[in-house]
Amino acid sequence: MHKRGLGFYARIYRKILIQDLKSKMSYRADFIISTFGMIMTNLSGFITFMILFHNFPTINGWDYYHMLFLYGFSLVALTPVQCFFDNNWNLRFMVQSGDFIKYCFRPVNVFFYFISEVFDVKGLGQLAFGIGTIVYAWIKIGIPVTFLVILKLLVFLLTASLFMIALMNFAAATCFWIKGSGYVMVIMFRFKDFAKYPSSIFQGIFKVIFTFVIPIAFIAYYPSLVILTPDNVPLLSWISPLYGILFVYLSYRFWMLGVRKYDFTGS
Amino acid sequence: MSEYSGNEAVVMKNVCKDFKVLNRHEGLKGSIKDLFSRDYKTVSAVKDVTLTVNKGEIIGYLGPNGAGKSTTIKMMTGVLEPTSGELLVNGKVPYKNRTENCENIGVVFGQRSQLWWSLPLIESFKLLRDLYMVTKEDYEGMIELYRSLVDIEPILHKPVREMSLGQRTLSDILAAFLHNPAIVFLDEPTIGLDVSMKAKIRELILGLNKEKNTTVILTTHDMGDVDALCKRIVIIDKGTKIYDNDIDHLKTYFGSYRTLKLKRADDEWEEYLIDEKTTDVMDVIMEKQKQMKIKDVKIDEISTEEVIKKIYEGGAK
Amino acid sequence: MNPKRLFAITRAGIMESLHFRLGIFVTLFANLIYLVLVYYLWKAIYDSSGTAVVNGMTFSDTMIYLILATALFNFLEMFVVWDMSRSIQQGKIVLDLLKPMRFRKYTFWSYTGNHIVQFVLTFIPTFIVVMIVTKGAISMGLNILWFLIATFLALMINYNMEMLVAPICFYTESTWGVNIVKETIVLLLSGATIPLAFFPEKARVIVQYLPFRAVYDIPLSMLLGKSGSDNWQGLLELFGLQLIWLVILTLAGNLFWNHAVKKVTVNGG
Repeated sequence: MHKRGLGFYARIYRKILIQDLKSKMSYRADFIISTFGMIMTNLSGFITFMILFHNFPTINGWDYYHMLFLYGFSLVALTPVQCFFDNNWNLRFMVQSGDFIKYCFRPVNVFFYFISEVFDVKGLGQLAFGIGTIVYAWIKIGIPVTFLVILKLLVFLLTASLFMIALMNFAAATCFWIKGSGYVMVIMFRFKDFAKYPSSIFQGIFKVIFTFVIPIAFIAYYPSLVILTPDNVPLLSWISPLYGILFVYLSYRFWMLGVRKYDFTGS
Repeated sequence: MSEYSGNEAVVMKNVCKDFKVLNRHEGLKGSIKDLFSRDYKTVSAVKDVTLTVNKGEIIGYLGPNGAGKSTTIKMMTGVLEPTSGELLVNGKVPYKNRTENCENIGVVFGQRSQLWWSLPLIESFKLLRDLYMVTKEDYEGMIELYRSLVDIEPILHKPVREMSLGQRTLSDILAAFLHNPAIVFLDEPTIGLDVSMKAKIRELILGLNKEKNTTVILTTHDMGDVDALCKRIVIIDKGTKIYDNDIDHLKTYFGSYRTLKLKRADDEWEEYLIDEKTTDVMDVIMEKQKQMKIKDVKIDEISTEEVIKKIYEGGAK
Repeated sequence: MNPKRLFAITRAGIMESLHFRLGIFVTLFANLIYLVLVYYLWKAIYDSSGTAVVNGMTFSDTMIYLILATALFNFLEMFVVWDMSRSIQQGKIVLDLLKPMRFRKYTFWSYTGNHIVQFVLTFIPTFIVVMIVTKGAISMGLNILWFLIATFLALMINYNMEMLVAPICFYTESTWGVNIVKETIVLLLSGATIPLAFFPEKARVIVQYLPFRAVYDIPLSMLLGKSGSDNWQGLLELFGLQLIWLVILTLAGNLFWNHAVKKVTVNGG
């Protein structure tokens, strides 16, 4: 039996990715319309944001530029889930039709094999939009530009991205147990719209829930505080990388458990 | 497990598989009731099946729809865990060593292509080569073998989505053999194909089996496949194995049966299955002649199709 | 059209929706959490603003509006575009077109079953919760009747919008793109994400006459007695707007559909 380590998976992923991009080029109209759709969603999110600030100049003590930074931060943090994990959206159709079984016949990790199949190029538009917003807010707030701050920004953007990946894994995997659970994904995906607001707006039991159970507060708020309030970083911000890794791991186990438990009667 | 000698590709001993399903009620009222119901029932898809498949064999694994064929295959491929019993594939428990098991098997599931939809076949082959970590020599050797068996040039650079059903099936079969697995599972490989394509596919399977000594487990409803490929057949019905022997034996089993074909005045053939032990063929012809004009008469041995039909109907008991 | 047949299709739709039993409960639960999020966000927003009324909307007005908009969204949601594109990809569309009933009608009535289930299972419970939480902030009078009529019109408008977009699938394989553009525009401009009352003056003038508003904003305004729906003239204007758009969208949808179907029959699917 062959050993398949990280190097193997990285190599395979790169190869599948290149092939996928090549084949995407053959659907040019689709690419243009999808990109346009992506720009529209970002634009719509931005317009909503502007309308809100048009009526209410501050939210929970956060002013316009700090909110804008948080907004940009959340957009960038949501790019990896969009680019690399988009195939989760197809999971329930595959499971329902029985096509999912084909992923179980290869001598590689089922989750990897399934997820590797789709790379979503249009997520890159969101990335550009997010970076632009961060840079603009960064200048307006006047955060110093040092190597250390940039490094922190990258680390904590990466951290923040883990949470949405985990949430979408959890949501997608529900289809192994529950027929017609598609709405869970839809609503989970809409939860991300609340990531761009300071999580100090939540109170009581829901503060705990939205911090630890459905960690919306970690999608942007806590990781971004490392950059926004360097003198007053809460403990939760510092432990967010560890919690993020744990959360992704749990979601992966849940997903794989679904594969094991599923009875493949779809065919 | 002690009886495993190394010459068996698959060993099944008293394997069972149960599913839990909700008892659904009929009608709109029933649907509302089901919303809160906890009324489950256990369905046994496979009941106490014992079976040994030797290396290099091509066996036909047959049975009516819903008999438990695909559940068995899913257990052999490591996708499903047996509820009870012992199952070894290439000497290992497939469910516990899914990845390892997958290295040694190939699977083709009817019309469900496992190839990358928008990639040319050759690119799919290259990806598979990497996935299975096939060495360069082995890979090239395999492609050479393919060239000698079928004309692969026209499909090699074609994306799978642009292929005809026949070409797609062909590609899927080639892809399943690419890493030279010990066992290949073929589920309805010729479904929906025209006569010449069916012949081509059967020839290919025979060729690959001969060259590589690959064990082939074939499930099909097409008795043409069985006649062309299998020496041995196993029949399963309602989860229970009801026949396991040579295909020739099957014919002698119903050896006294003949298919009588009568050509009517309108040039249509009428068919009758007759057991010579109980009925005389000549009597039937004479009886029929009183009712209609017969233009021609043919008497054939019983076809595999008819035998299987008889067995499904409970004739073997 | 035979009413018995319509009933049979609707009934089958209801049974199909109920089949996904756990899915229904999970949907209800997920919605509840979503509403909690909406509540906290707007509470914080109003707390920060320092005034109780913004653009004629109090906190409880905004909450009722947004909560019921979410409930309406679930109730009105259709997957015609997705269904059709999958049907095209699998080559099933030709069979669908051959069904004895006209395809568009068939789709509408089979979705009606789903709509009824969603209305009973999500909209009514949400409505009751809102009534209890706000201690009866929604007045129970003729406005309920206007709301129901407007919702029915909204349902038809929404369906016709879907049907106007769905045939695009005959021309392009980009279902995701087409759908996301449609959904984004409808959600933003219909007032489902942020009440139209908050839009800047100039934008509001334009949005007011677009068809999207007829789906969420008009029924909800009628329920809350806003946007002039408390007098006869205002009511007539709002219903008039809905009806005009319904006619325009239906006609446009018909034309586009016929053109698209011609394309399918020419290409043989």
